[in-house]
Amino acid sequence: MTAVTEVAAPDLTTPRAQLLLVLADDELITGHRASHWTGVAPSLEEDMAFSSIAQDEINHADLWYQVLIGFDVTGEPQRAAVDALGLGRAPQEYRHAIACERPPRDFAFTLARHWAYDRFDAVRLGALTQSSDPDIASVAGKLQFEERYHLEHADQWFSRLVNGGEEAIGRFRDGLTVALPEALGLAEPFEDEDEALASGLLPVSHPDLGGRWLEIVAPLLRTADMDDLVPSAVPAEASGGRLGRHTDDFTADVWPEMTSLYREHRGARW
Amino acid sequence: MNDVLPPEQTATTLLDAVRGAVADVPDPELPPVTLGMLGMVHAVDVEDGHVRIELLPTFAGCPATEIMERDVVEAVGRVPGVDQVSVRFRFDPPWTPDRIDAIGRERLREFGIAPPGGATGAPTADGRVTLPLMLGPASDPRPCPYCGSSDTVRESNFGPTPCRDVRFCEGCQQPFEAFKA
Repeated sequence: MTAVTEVAAPDLTTPRAQLLLVLADDELITGHRASHWTGVAPSLEEDMAFSSIAQDEINHADLWYQVLIGFDVTGEPQRAAVDALGLGRAPQEYRHAIACERPPRDFAFTLARHWAYDRFDAVRLGALTQSSDPDIASVAGKLQFEERYHLEHADQWFSRLVNGGEEAIGRFRDGLTVALPEALGLAEPFEDEDEALASGLLPVSHPDLGGRWLEIVAPLLRTADMDDLVPSAVPAEASGGRLGRHTDDFTADVWPEMTSLYREHRGARW
Repeated sequence: MNDVLPPEQTATTLLDAVRGAVADVPDPELPPVTLGMLGMVHAVDVEDGHVRIELLPTFAGCPATEIMERDVVEAVGRVPGVDQVSVRFRFDPPWTPDRIDAIGRERLREFGIAPPGGATGAPTADGRVTLPLMLGPASDPRPCPYCGSSDTVRESNFGPTPCRDVRFCEGCQQPFEAFKA
């Protein structure tokens, strides 16, 4: 293949495109951060787990980009358009929450964010199965089915660590202390969210999804004697991802690495 | 059955030949089973030599779908009378484990992969098909593909491909893989 087949670049300003970028970008960046553990996780099982999660999330992002472009675009033009969305945008054009771009820090923080994120993702996918857009609704149902495996993995670690020894509890607590308030940034609305709500594309607003998320995570934290960790506000430095504001963790770390091949050799194939 | 289609072939025989070619494409990651056995072929349509195929992916996060698409285009392109092939994936209706046919289940077992039980979620009020077991991954003891024992446990949610998990058989003390459902 010598030339990249092009289709007209999609309009990214519509409420539908804005919603799909939020969904896709959260998954894409979560997947990239999960891939950090490939080859260096604390156990072989966790290496498999986070490598699989990375692969799943990046493919889920790919699928949301396909929905944005339209399933009528297939084959090479579809691949080129998906790559352009996933890898061809400037950092400020990405709409993921800042929680997703944070570095893995240690394995305890990784598990804390994994739990916070997958608990939110489950709530959001459940709501999206009622979307007025049939492609969004059917893909949400499909992903909900696949994400069960991630959620169960995250929940198993939550139980294991909060019921563990002093070091396990202490380190997981430190991870949750940072991850939970930042995860509230997942519940920030995107620019034209009101229009997406009015048309039923997004059946439940991001702030309301955040409320539903808290209804699930707060009781779990209470049973773990961690009531004091129930988050109430996003720290200022972790706010604004939905509007394209990102930290150096993205603009100077994930983004340059993730897009380097695309920027150097657009259309490269394995 | 003739190897070569007669020159006076009708639209129906061309459609049958195309259907057969799609159904016989092997899964790139599980070559003993075909797309037909897995129940992934949703629709095949032929119009003036242009074939349109709709496939249902078993897993959205499956990196093999690109290879399947290429293999389907190649296989169907070899059918006499076909000029152009388009493949698209769709998610409605969702692929469900009950779509795997009896031969597919047996081939999976022979390959050391326990097939899913065939469970499908209850249809919704409007009759839509739903995916099974929304609340958690299937933890049912899957019979061991080697010795048939049901004394098995799920050891890991994550296996060598997105569609498989890892189990252990207490009966024959062997690890094995299971198709996620």
